[in-house]
Amino acid sequence: MIFGQSKLELKVGIFVFMGLVILTIFILSMKDFKSITAGYEVNFIFNFANGVKIGAPVRFAGVDVGEIKEINFVTTADDPKPKVRIVGSVKKNITVPVDSTVWVNTLGLLGEKYIEIMPGKDYSNILLAKQTLVGVDPIPMQEVSVLARDIAKHLDESFLRIINKEGTVGKLLYDDAIYKELEALITDVRKHPWKLFIKTKEKPEKK
Amino acid sequence: MKKLFLILGKRVLALLYLLGGLSYLASQTFYWLFIPPFKKERIFEQCKKAGMDSLPIVSLIAFFIGVIMALQTAYQMQRLGAEMYIGSIVALSMVRELGPVITALIVAGRVGASITAEIGSMQVTEQVDALQTLATSPIKYLVVPRLLALSIMEPLLTLYANIIGIFGGYLICVYRLGVSSGMYRYITFSALLYKDLFTGLFKALFFGMIIAFVSCYEGFKVEGGAEGVGKATAQAVVTMFILIIAFDCLFTALFYFIFP
Repeated sequence: MIFGQSKLELKVGIFVFMGLVILTIFILSMKDFKSITAGYEVNFIFNFANGVKIGAPVRFAGVDVGEIKEINFVTTADDPKPKVRIVGSVKKNITVPVDSTVWVNTLGLLGEKYIEIMPGKDYSNILLAKQTLVGVDPIPMQEVSVLARDIAKHLDESFLRIINKEGTVGKLLYDDAIYKELEALITDVRKHPWKLFIKTKEKPEKK
Repeated sequence: MKKLFLILGKRVLALLYLLGGLSYLASQTFYWLFIPPFKKERIFEQCKKAGMDSLPIVSLIAFFIGVIMALQTAYQMQRLGAEMYIGSIVALSMVRELGPVITALIVAGRVGASITAEIGSMQVTEQVDALQTLATSPIKYLVVPRLLALSIMEPLLTLYANIIGIFGGYLICVYRLGVSSGMYRYITFSALLYKDLFTGLFKALFFGMIIAFVSCYEGFKVEGGAEGVGKATAQAVVTMFILIIAFDCLFTALFYFIFP
């Protein structure tokens, strides 16, 4: 049994220890700690990065395996046009084949951007640290809207021709002649159904 | 008109007296902090009074705050079908803001008031003067243990409040809103960064120091009898509340610009 002062010290000690345990739980399970865990860095080259940010996840086959560490521009000697180089970390136990496809994808409620790696098939040829994968560029929204406008324009022209009673579809919709001829044919066939069984006029002549 | 200026002048002078007195007390306390002898028994005793005895009420209130946060955000988040994100809202607001502030307000009301009353009644019964005649510094004997105890216990109590508040939110989300247990934990901790936790704990440390200084200062300032003690206690609680909220606002703005 402990009494008096020692008992008080014991109680305070337990209290402080529990507080430190809670602090440790917080520190070990927070996001920052996960990003400290070891991994290797790989580079992704894009012409257009679609607003992806530092700290965004890197996904391999749909699973988070790392995050983006830095984003900068690089130019090569033969091409003056700057390209976007994204440095991402990938967990050590994940092997990425060199023939994998990489692109910037969009996720969730707020449209968060992340790097998606679709694994390739050639596992004899594995991406090593500091090596580079060339990404498939996301289609910029600008281009999508230009494309949509072109399509709409073509559709509009076609509809205009239809409305102006031009072309096959326009005539089918607006010209009564075909309908009238069809009606006449059906009335004729109803009256003289035997006409259907006579193939041509040449046949009896041959006999 | 003259009366207005009179009141204004009186208020400003009172504020300056308070700030001056607090800074003098703080400088004296930090001086005596490093002068031996170090009596650990007194610190342990204050730790028990300030920390452990406050734990039940802090836990209770933090738990209710967590539950309330979860329910109130659920009210809106359910419309968006985003119940999942309640976890990160509860965790962030507890760790960054509510944990430190609620704990500080409870400790100010519970421990700070009792310190003022204790030192105040020592002052009116001339026990403080008696200490001085025994060549013991009242600051070394009374203020230093309380400052140390509150500075250590405030961050610890805040940690307890954080985890219990998050647990309150967990209960509501998992058993009422149908978020899975693992998902809640993942969302909670994936939203938290080290800067959130440590700015919260820094605030808690600072609030602990505010409580120690203001309560001791108001205690030493007591004049008259029992009535003076009552007045000083009320004044101490009001001053602590105002300072805690004001410094919270200041620190929040500061951290917002330092760690964007």
